[in-house]
Amino acid sequence: MMATNRQFLWKPVSIAPLVIFRIGFGLLMFFSILRFWWRGWIKELYVTPSFHFTYWGFEWVKPLGNPGMYIVFAIILIAALCIALGLFYRIAIILFFLCFTYVELIDVTTYLNHYYFISLVAFIMIWLPANKNYSLDCLLFPSIRTDTIPAWCINIIRFQMAVVYVFAGLAKINYDWLILAEPMRTWLPAKSYFPVIGKWMYESWMAYLFSWFGMFYDLFIVFFLLNNKTRNISYFFVLVFHIATAVFFPAIGMFPFVMIVCSLIFFPAAFHQKILQRLPLFQQQNNKTKAVYNFNNNNLILWGIILYCLIQVLLPVRFLLYPGKLFWHEQGYRFSWRVMLMEKAGAAYFTVKDSTGRQFYEVDNKEFLTPLQEKMMSTQPDLILKYAYHLADVYKQKGIIEPKVYAEVYVTLNSVPSKLFIDSTVNLAAQKISWKNYDWVLPWQTK
Amino acid sequence: MNRMKFSIGGCLAIIAVMLFACSKNNSGNNNPAASDAFKQRMLLNYCDTLFIPGYTQFNTQVTTLDAAITEFLNDPVQSKLDALRNPFKNTYLAFENISMPYFGPASALLLNNTLNSFPSKTADIENAIIAGPGSYNFNQPLVSDSIQGLPALDYLLFSTNTLQKFQESTSANRKQYVRDIMTKIKTLATSNLTQWNGSYRSAFTGNLQTNVGSPIGYVVNQLAYEMDAMKGPRIGWPFGKRSNGIVFADKCEAYYSGFSGDLATANLTALKKYFTGGTGTGIDDYLVEINRTELKNTVLNQFDVAINAVAAIPAPLSASFSNNAPAVENAYREVQKLLTYLKTDVASATAVQITYMDNDGD
Repeated sequence: MMATNRQFLWKPVSIAPLVIFRIGFGLLMFFSILRFWWRGWIKELYVTPSFHFTYWGFEWVKPLGNPGMYIVFAIILIAALCIALGLFYRIAIILFFLCFTYVELIDVTTYLNHYYFISLVAFIMIWLPANKNYSLDCLLFPSIRTDTIPAWCINIIRFQMAVVYVFAGLAKINYDWLILAEPMRTWLPAKSYFPVIGKWMYESWMAYLFSWFGMFYDLFIVFFLLNNKTRNISYFFVLVFHIATAVFFPAIGMFPFVMIVCSLIFFPAAFHQKILQRLPLFQQQNNKTKAVYNFNNNNLILWGIILYCLIQVLLPVRFLLYPGKLFWHEQGYRFSWRVMLMEKAGAAYFTVKDSTGRQFYEVDNKEFLTPLQEKMMSTQPDLILKYAYHLADVYKQKGIIEPKVYAEVYVTLNSVPSKLFIDSTVNLAAQKISWKNYDWVLPWQTK
Repeated sequence: MNRMKFSIGGCLAIIAVMLFACSKNNSGNNNPAASDAFKQRMLLNYCDTLFIPGYTQFNTQVTTLDAAITEFLNDPVQSKLDALRNPFKNTYLAFENISMPYFGPASALLLNNTLNSFPSKTADIENAIIAGPGSYNFNQPLVSDSIQGLPALDYLLFSTNTLQKFQESTSANRKQYVRDIMTKIKTLATSNLTQWNGSYRSAFTGNLQTNVGSPIGYVVNQLAYEMDAMKGPRIGWPFGKRSNGIVFADKCEAYYSGFSGDLATANLTALKKYFTGGTGTGIDDYLVEINRTELKNTVLNQFDVAINAVAAIPAPLSASFSNNAPAVENAYREVQKLLTYLKTDVASATAVQITYMDNDGD
């Protein structure tokens, strides 16, 4: 145990992989945010909407409007660039983490697994000495330069990658995905316009191929990347798999590129060293000043790592505490690396009544929500609840006494015909947001 | 090390090839290798048997209406006012037939917003008439939507004392206002059809994708959007669904001429036709193609139920909101059911995202 401990956590290893990771991550973030800005999403997602779905416990997080949101994104952009350059790294990565996470906390409906991943990696990187080689910080403060770092600084990132892949793989082991080949069976025919392979998109063997290959890939890729003998060929698969997903499902945005860049962390130090040597202005350390970077309080770090890893492993399995079909009620769905697992769509009709139940007002969702917000809300119980609270507030201000909010929601999941999703006789304004099972979500039926 | 170089080089080559293939797809409108004969046939059918003939027919009706209106304005007597009724009704019905394909040139020209934003702002119209030509501008999106188009004609030509207002010595401004409305309608209708007959036809039929902004994406989205407009502006809102049951009869489509029910039925019937592709290949056949025959039957059946329910409301619709509430309520429920199928099951099955924005009607 102690020996492994020493091996995985404290053994001095080359800093090169961490430096390449820092540069890759910084540049990737810089261009992702630029793309986000370029597409007008800052305005569309964070400036225009009058209402936001906040995270439970983070209701105090509010958008900053115009120009506030643009300033936040400018800070993220500059911070990302500073991370890549290794300039004022510690400040840059803290600012990046805080601003990026702040933006993600504004609205649940913009949640994407890879945004969560970016927040986590940024958080990890706050604690890593990623600027202590090939960085502007090293030019400014030559004394911080080091060649080796404790092994955990690399391994924690590998662990995070492993969590993403393995849980994504485990999530695919379910009846819909493997036996019915849903949602691939639904999504692939939309791609029949592809040259050459387009004609096979209607075939069900294609859906099975995608489903099963995806499952095996996610489950095992990390282990092949860790193995010296299989690393090169498995990275080739990383490229093929992620570029294929980018081509087939452009809606997942930057995710494939994030994984392609981050997977480089599995390559050995020599590989990264070679890359560094080809970069301009790289100086080989002269052997005399060779320094090992050491942290002050190893014990604290050890417990920090244990706690972090425990949370990462437990969060994705919390769904086991809830009865019923996870894809239907989605309790414990987020923060669990469930990517592209289901085709789900809903239509939600809300009615507000006064305390006597005599007055009624049907709600036009377009008045309060953007199309994206409406789409997300219509299939996720906690968002339905948040929206109901908001409607109760709005109608109270309009003079309705003790407004009651009812919703008739229909949801279709993985080609099963749309069904009533929640109990339409329940006053949602009176229901509590909590960890407890939402008993007003109707049970899942397949027929 | 050589092996590593090789693998890096190989990977880069593969990335390059795949990105190239990918970018080719995005722009590959006329890529013969990318043909899905079924989807190709479906889009051609939509273009050549529904959209373009629909627009052509609408433009013909506009021409007829324009002639009748000119007759009336030159000689405002009861008989010529009566002679307007049918051309107006036919034009409005023809419009209901083409309100679904609101994308491409039609949406670039803001055709629907300009031609059919109801209820019209009658006070603003009267003020504009008093102030005279030059005081109003029909080219301001949102601002001028509700003072022109078919709803404005409905008010100007069919509200009370129409004849008297056009016979007054001060009626020159009113006549000019009507002419200006017609000019705008004719300009938009002609320009739209020209573009559909021109380059947009091949742009539409050459793109077989289903993502946001693709032809198939538009068709599915617009089916749901129009159904939403049926549930809201056409029936639900004037019926008082948003206002505690308080009826706003004069906010319904074509309130003054009283054709509301006919228009609603025409709109729904047109939507069914757009779902089936008429006699040719449509979304319903696509559902069969992807093994969703049961869904196709459910939707088709619900179309019939909803059309019958709307047609069963006694005319005029505006009076039935108060006098035949159960019939309206029933139609409202059936339309909502149909909307649900389109917005959830059909959109899901065709892998189309519902993205429509609030850009019409209110």
